[in-house]
Order: sequence, then structure tokens, then C-alpha cells
Amino acid sequence: MLLDTGYRAGPAATLRESLYRIRALASNNTLIRLRDPGQTISYVVMPMVLMLVLKPLYVRAVEGGTTKVVTGLLVMFSVFAISIAGNAILAERTWKTWDRLRVSRAPAAELLIGKTLPIYVVMVAQQTILLVYGCLVIGLPIPGNVPLVLGAILLWAFTLLAIGALLAAVVRSHGELSVITDVGALTLSSLGGALVPLSLMPEWAQVAAQASPGYWALQMLQAAVVGDTAGVLLPAAILLGIALVCGVFAIRRLTRGWGRGGLL
Amino acid sequence: MLQAIDLVKRYGPVLALDGFSLSVAAGEIVGLVGHNGAGKTTFVEIVSYLIRQDGGHVTIDGRPPSASRGRVGVAPQHIALYPSVTVREHLTLFGKLAGLRRAALDGAVEELTVALRMGAFIDRRTAGLSGGQQRRVQAATALINRPGLLLLDEPTAGADLETREAMLDVVKQRAGDGAAVVYTTHYLPELVELQATIAVARNGKIIARGTYDELVDGLPGEVRLIHDNEEEVRVSTTQPAATLIDLLGRAERPISTIEVHNPSLDDLYRSLAVSDAP
Ligand SMILES: Nc1ncnc2c1ncn2[C@@H]1O[C@H](COP(=O)(O)OP(=O)(O)O)[C@@H](O)[C@H]1O
Ligand SMILES: [Mg+2]
Repeated sequence: MLLDTGYRAGPAATLRESLYRIRALASNNTLIRLRDPGQTISYVVMPMVLMLVLKPLYVRAVEGGTTKVVTGLLVMFSVFAISIAGNAILAERTWKTWDRLRVSRAPAAELLIGKTLPIYVVMVAQQTILLVYGCLVIGLPIPGNVPLVLGAILLWAFTLLAIGALLAAVVRSHGELSVITDVGALTLSSLGGALVPLSLMPEWAQVAAQASPGYWALQMLQAAVVGDTAGVLLPAAILLGIALVCGVFAIRRLTRGWGRGGLL
Repeated sequence: MLQAIDLVKRYGPVLALDGFSLSVAAGEIVGLVGHNGAGKTTFVEIVSYLIRQDGGHVTIDGRPPSASRGRVGVAPQHIALYPSVTVREHLTLFGKLAGLRRAALDGAVEELTVALRMGAFIDRRTAGLSGGQQRRVQAATALINRPGLLLLDEPTAGADLETREAMLDVVKQRAGDGAAVVYTTHYLPELVELQATIAVARNGKIIARGTYDELVDGLPGEVRLIHDNEEEVRVSTTQPAATLIDLLGRAERPISTIEVHNPSLDDLYRSLAVSDAP
């Protein structure tokens, strides 16, 4: 007998089936992440080392040096982590598995959620670990408004995920992706004041900084750790805008697929 | 079950499909053959709704491909598996995506593991498997939920004997259960074994369709003799046995090699090219 499980009727059943598929996709992607954790580990360990080494310099150079060294390196390495998202999505294209999933019963939205959820968790965890490390080891004062900080991290990770998905959808190889993420991340995050405090940069750079998402992330996180809710709002709105624009483009491109073309 | 009428697909100046029509009934296996570039894979991609046609219609059980997601089992021409994920985990993923749960899922995994002889490597990651083993895993992910339409695009390309035997057995069994199967291949003997109807694609069209007897029987095969002095005799013939006896009777030197070839796909293509010439 041919067993076609068919679609069960009713919105509750539909939702249950949808969640079942998303869970299957997410656990597959979690497996893949766990079996290849190298990149993730290095983007957590490297900033930890740098925070330790650079702290005295920051403290001597600027006011609030401890906050700046923690948030600066957190932002910089969270931008590097775009490549984790990018590589994970691009890999589905190079393995040709994305098209296998597109043939399945799971609609595109489920594929995207199942794909990106584990990566999102990784990104949020990276930033949370770095912040906790900043408090425990580097001496960052424990933030008074923890939900505000958490909200800022969640939003920033979402923005990074959207940028990563967009890049993965438009590049033609892992090489292209790493050029864009490495050079782009270093440029954007240091221009945004993540490596050298903005106040020490030339005036033109301080103006140009505002074009970088890293700049807004830094403003948002620094405001969040000192509990300045009003200061969080503008950068949060700008980042949300960036995330939505990138996200929409990425979703449209990924939904359409590439057929046999599109890769080098 | 599957009906495709007058499909057209353009890639810039290339007409990948040019009025491609093919229908497959439930329980029928259609062996889709044709040279590289004939449009076989493009047809599979349209039916599985991975790409859209520029013209023509497809229906699967009366529905368009857009409404048939999850009802079609597709094993693409190129291996498409997650390298760091095991065979069992693949089957589980695709089974769950098709809506299988608990006992039904376990049963389906178990059945395919046996049928496609994957027991020895079921818990290994696919990156370490041989080409033939990967072929079987890929087919298994397409078969897991017993879809009513199977699209198997060169499922035995580069496969070893074990893979080929297992694949043919499973395909026959699924067709016996009522699945419609499109099976592309470059090996005619597989289609004989499957008792498939043969559809020949060329330049984006189906130019002939029929049973093996209708299309291939009666085409000339070839008898080839090599004498001990390396001298070679080749005769094209529709009656290989009689021809062979005749040649042996007339041979003036000892013979080192005898080969008898049944008509191949190439002979079929050649005969079609000749017969439809003006
Ligand atoms: N994505 C694509 N871009 C450009 N040309 C393509 C693409 N896909 C297929 N083609 C062309 O369409 C024709 C049919 O290809 P295909 O369907 O793969 O043939 P087959 O599977 O029979 O070998 C070929 O000429 C091929 O080059
Ligand atoms: Mg092909």
C-alpha cells in the first residue's frame, strides 16, 4: 500500500505539523553546527583574549574604558560571526540540499526558520558569554537593567543573522563570502568604533562611522549596559530597519532557489 | 498520475525543453532516456517545482506541481546529502518532513535499510560513503514516505552491482504497489529488467515512446570476432545467433575473442535519427 500521510484538517493540526517539521529541520541544523564547532569557538575565545590584553590600554586612553573594551570587542566579533550564518546557509547551496528541502512538504518559511533558529541561538549565546565574561573577568559593572541588555543582544543577533542570510543568498562561493565577511567585518566594526574608541579616531571617521551597523550596535549596547533606555531606542530602530530590509531580500532570494546556476 | 503537455523551458538561447510531453500512469515505470542535454533533468526539475516552465502544463494527480509539494519523491541526478549527518539521521529528517511519526517513521526507516541494503553503514556519516552507497541513501530519502510519484534521475549513475540490484528491486516493488515512476538512465538493460516503458528524449522533446519490444527488438545488434592474428570482423545483425554460427563456419583462422552485443541505447538513438530523417 502507498501510504500518503496527507494533510490533516484544521488550523491546530496544521500548526502542530508545521512545528513538527520545524523541529526536525532545526535539530538537523543543530547537529551540523555541533559537529563543526571550530568557527564558533574561535569567535568566542579570540575576543576573550583580546579583552584581557587590551583592557589596560582602553582604561588609560578613555573614560569608561572597561565598558568600551568589552562592548567594542563583543560587537567586532559578533560581526565576524555573520560568517557562521553565511556559511551555514551557503553550504545548503553547495551541497545542493536546499533544493531537496524545497521539494519536501515544508514551505519556505519553515525551511528558513528551521535553518536560522540554531544559528540565532549560537549568535545570542556568543554575545551573552562575552558579556558575562566581561562582568566576571574584565570587571564590567553588572548591568542594572538585564532585560534591556538581553533585548539589545537579541535584536543585534537578529540583524547579523539577516545580513548573513542576505550575503549567503547573493555570493557565488565560500571564498567570496569570507572576503566579504572578514574584510567587511573588520572595516565596518573598526570604523564603528569597536576596535579603537571613536573619540580617539579622526573626525572624518567619526562621521563615517554612522554608516556602519557596528556603530549603531555599539551605541545600543553601551546604552543598554548602563541602563539608558532612551539611548537604546534610536540605534535599535535603525538596526531593526537594516535587519528587515536584509531579511526580506534574503527570504525572497532563498525561496526562489537557484536551480543549477548561481555558484562558481 | 503524471501528465506533462507541451513543456517549454528556455535558458537564454538554449531551448532545454521544446514541446516536451510525457504522461505516466499509476503503477507504470517510464524509462526516460536520451543523450546528455536532451532535457531529462529539466523535466524532473519542473515536475518537482524547483523551476517554472515557460510554456505548457503539468499535473500530478490532477494538481499542479505547486500544490503537490511532499507528494513527489525526487532523487536528483547529483548527490545532495549533508556530509556530517548519518544515513539514519537523513532518513529521519526526510521522513519527518513528510509527516511520518514514531512507529510509522521507524518502520519506514527499517524497511528501506533492508530493501536498499544499507544496514552496514546506517549509522555512518554520508561523507565517508562510497558513490554507490550515497546513491542508495539519496534514493532512500526520496522513497521514505511512499510517494505516489517517484522521479529518479540517474539513480544508478556510477553505481556498483549491489546498488543497481537493490535499486531495481525497490523500484519494481514500489511500482507494483501503485507508484508512478520516472526513471532516467543510460543503461538499457535496467529498463528491460524493470519492464519499463521507454521514452526517448532528444533536443527537449520526446521523440519515441513504447515498450522494449516495440522500440528495440528488431534493431540490429553486433557480432564481433577477433582472430588470433588480431584481425577483427564486425557484423551488424538482427539475428546474432545465426550470424555467429555463419561466421564461425566460415572462419579460416583460430578465433581468440567472440562478442555478441544486443542492441544498445545508442543503436536505438541511431535508428530514431535515421527513421525520422526526411
Ligand atoms: N540552469 C541552467 N542554465 C543554463 N542552461 C541550462 C540550465 N539547466 C539546463 N540547461 C541546459 O538545458 C539543456 C537540457 O539539460 P538537462 O535537462 O540537464 O539534460 P539531461 O538531463 O537530459 O542531460 C542542456 O543544454 C543544458 O545545458
Ligand atoms: Mg540529467
